[in-house]
Amino acid sequence: MKRTIPLIIVFGCGIFMLISFFIPLRWVQDTSQLLQTWYLGVIAFFVFIGIANIVRVNVNKIQRKLADWQYSIILLVFLFVMIGAGIFGGPEGGLFNYLFHNFQIPLSATMFSLLAFFVASAAFRAFRARNPEATLLLIAAVLVMVGRVPVGYWIWHGFPDLVEWLMQVPNTAAKRGIILGIDLGLISMALRVLLGIERSYMGGKD
Amino acid sequence: MKLLERLAKIDRRIIFLLVGLAAIIPLLIPIGLPVDITKPVQNVYDTIESLPEGSIVVVSVDYDPGSEAELYPATLAFIEHCFRRNLRVYMMGLWPAGIALGNDAFAEIAPKYNKEYGVDYINIGYKPGGPVMLLTLGRSVADIVNADYAGTPIDSFPLGRAVKTARDMSVVMTFSAGDPGILHWIIYFNARFGNVICGSTTAISAPRQYQYLASGQLIGLLGGLKGAAEYETLVDRKDRAIAGMDSQSIVHVLLVIFIIIGNIILLSERRKK
Amino acid sequence: MLLILILMAQGINVEAFDTPNDDGSSITIRWIPDTQYEFFQILRSLDPDEGFEPLAQLPGDYAEFIDRGLQSGQQYYYLVKAVQKEQETSSEIIGPVLPKAQIFDAGRANILVTIIILFAAILFYIAIARRGEKLYIRKIPALTAMEEAIGRATEMGKPVLYVPGIMDIDDPQTIASMSILSKVAEKTAEYGTPLYVPTSKAMAMTMAQQVVKEAAMKVGRPDWFNADNIRYLTDDQFGYVSAVDGIMMREKPATNFYLGTFYAESLILAETGHATGAIQVAGTAMPDQLPFFVAACDFTLLGEELYAASAYLSQEPVQLGSLKGQDLGKLLIILIIIIGVASRVFGLPFLYNLLNVQQ
Repeated sequence: MKRTIPLIIVFGCGIFMLISFFIPLRWVQDTSQLLQTWYLGVIAFFVFIGIANIVRVNVNKIQRKLADWQYSIILLVFLFVMIGAGIFGGPEGGLFNYLFHNFQIPLSATMFSLLAFFVASAAFRAFRARNPEATLLLIAAVLVMVGRVPVGYWIWHGFPDLVEWLMQVPNTAAKRGIILGIDLGLISMALRVLLGIERSYMGGKD
Repeated sequence: MKLLERLAKIDRRIIFLLVGLAAIIPLLIPIGLPVDITKPVQNVYDTIESLPEGSIVVVSVDYDPGSEAELYPATLAFIEHCFRRNLRVYMMGLWPAGIALGNDAFAEIAPKYNKEYGVDYINIGYKPGGPVMLLTLGRSVADIVNADYAGTPIDSFPLGRAVKTARDMSVVMTFSAGDPGILHWIIYFNARFGNVICGSTTAISAPRQYQYLASGQLIGLLGGLKGAAEYETLVDRKDRAIAGMDSQSIVHVLLVIFIIIGNIILLSERRKK
Repeated sequence: MLLILILMAQGINVEAFDTPNDDGSSITIRWIPDTQYEFFQILRSLDPDEGFEPLAQLPGDYAEFIDRGLQSGQQYYYLVKAVQKEQETSSEIIGPVLPKAQIFDAGRANILVTIIILFAAILFYIAIARRGEKLYIRKIPALTAMEEAIGRATEMGKPVLYVPGIMDIDDPQTIASMSILSKVAEKTAEYGTPLYVPTSKAMAMTMAQQVVKEAAMKVGRPDWFNADNIRYLTDDQFGYVSAVDGIMMREKPATNFYLGTFYAESLILAETGHATGAIQVAGTAMPDQLPFFVAACDFTLLGEELYAASAYLSQEPVQLGSLKGQDLGKLLIILIIIIGVASRVFGLPFLYNLLNVQQ
């Protein structure tokens, strides 16, 4: 029963959503939308579950004085300050806005900018002509890197057009092939989940 | 050869330092490399140029501060273009953090053109729900939107009253850093309601959008900071994207040098064996 | 019943009909565009004697207007006026037109046929597998290396880190990742190796906790399960990746799994993991992120291999059968592509229209 009822729900909802793509009747579309709206409601509820988990784990860390417990205090302080600022001051409130613009935005931008450095170290380590395929990858990468910035246009006016061709023809063709394969894999997995053949995402025996 | 052996074992912090210098120095000492205009960006520009005055352009801010460096300059340039053409901007977001960034853009550009909130532009805020929300929005905006981002009833604004269905939206321009983003607008707006979709995305995601450009589902695309710099050039707005191009150029050249050095090391190791 | 009325009046050729393949709430009005006119004005009435209300104003190069939000079965009348400067030319009244709902969207019939064929192929091979026939599936190196990678962590006395992507459980990649997590958790529980699963979504955390707990119970190690090791960090993309990087730098896991949906944070995770000396197995169906994982990780599951992983690891004949069916589907797609290209190259509109999806 513990697994049968969820499997019935998965099958029923899955088949209905699939069929609703082909049936334009109003009640079918409305029901499909209702199911998706219910899902939104469930997601909204889970925000509280996530916050409760953060609080529980970090309070436990502080109580037991585990390694780096001091940072848990900082985390909890900022968590509740931000929640309070948002609730009492609104999203345009002074404190919320200040924290967002002076903490959130710069911190996120800093993490994103790490990519520039990591791309350099990854390129130095991995872009080597070990075999023909790696050589092809290396040549394409160099052409696109140079051609997509003004220095490419400065070296040769035709460089950007060459890179545009690379992006629009070989790149698009390869991406389409990969995406077709991915979507077929997705259909196969979806059918296994719908029919209850694939159950390991629920945990327990297959 | 000893030099190559040292380079093979180089501490990656030295690589990081060189990249940092390559990024910072051109910002302090600009080179002024010319920015060429590519067709996908030109298409976005031409689409906006072709709209009659008063047309409503939906701007969807679908990114968060992490992607601000690439997408915010494009947002500013695009909104400036819209205001200059006397188009009305109807802003929303599929990502919650994008709304504040969108408001920042309005705060910077609107006063320059004496644009009035609620008449010339509006921000209806973050709308969760992805596909369901977009399908409902296209059929009946009133089912999704009853207030702007600050909670003021939407019907109290002339622009809020003017947008009832997807039919009232001339163009949708999405500034997208991932999911939900360009693909959602294409699948659930262009496919269902036939709206014209243009996009701006990070450099990492841009290659993925080329197939939609090829099929015509996406009319134009601003890819990464380069795309933003191209648009700034077209609208004659010399801002941070153009300024960043020198920096990006030098960093890319440095990466190519690293790749060449790496392959020289590989060749010398093969010769030794 | 489709009702089409075509009237000729003073140069405006207009037709109005029930929009096909809809829910009975729209009518399509078509006319021949003419750029000599500034705009066309479309008007509607429920009773022509009581006057018409304006619906839309469209430029002279427009040829169609779809009137939506109508009531199925109600009669509607239309008028189209062409305006040039101050001169107006009006069509005759068209109607009554009745919008009606269609039960099946015929414009998507080709998609339905394709899905039925794909499903049939998959079910065919599942049936063959149930009969006991052995099916050949090629080796996937990343999956073969999983057990060795977990064994490495056990020998070194270090934990295993499993990152299930940054999207929620409505994302198929997250579901696929949870299926693989079940297998990884069984192995780590069996070996007694700590398993950390930081998640970016609270629902994914709940699912991961359930999956890991059940895996521990399945191998008879319920005491190994620690709910605090499977925790929610933050929904924010870069907040999440910085927290995971922190876990990597502090806990120094010997094996990292990155399986699911990733965006820009993929390279940040992979490079940090590389710096800690971990062996890394990645898998994603995000084509943009695959190059970063291929460059920075030891093994990578490419796209569809992520979806196949659970079937591959279980080695259950029925699940492997579905992989074979998927391959047959791929052959079908290749055939359709060839037919489509040929139809365009040799000018065979019939074939092209057969494959085209109507909106």
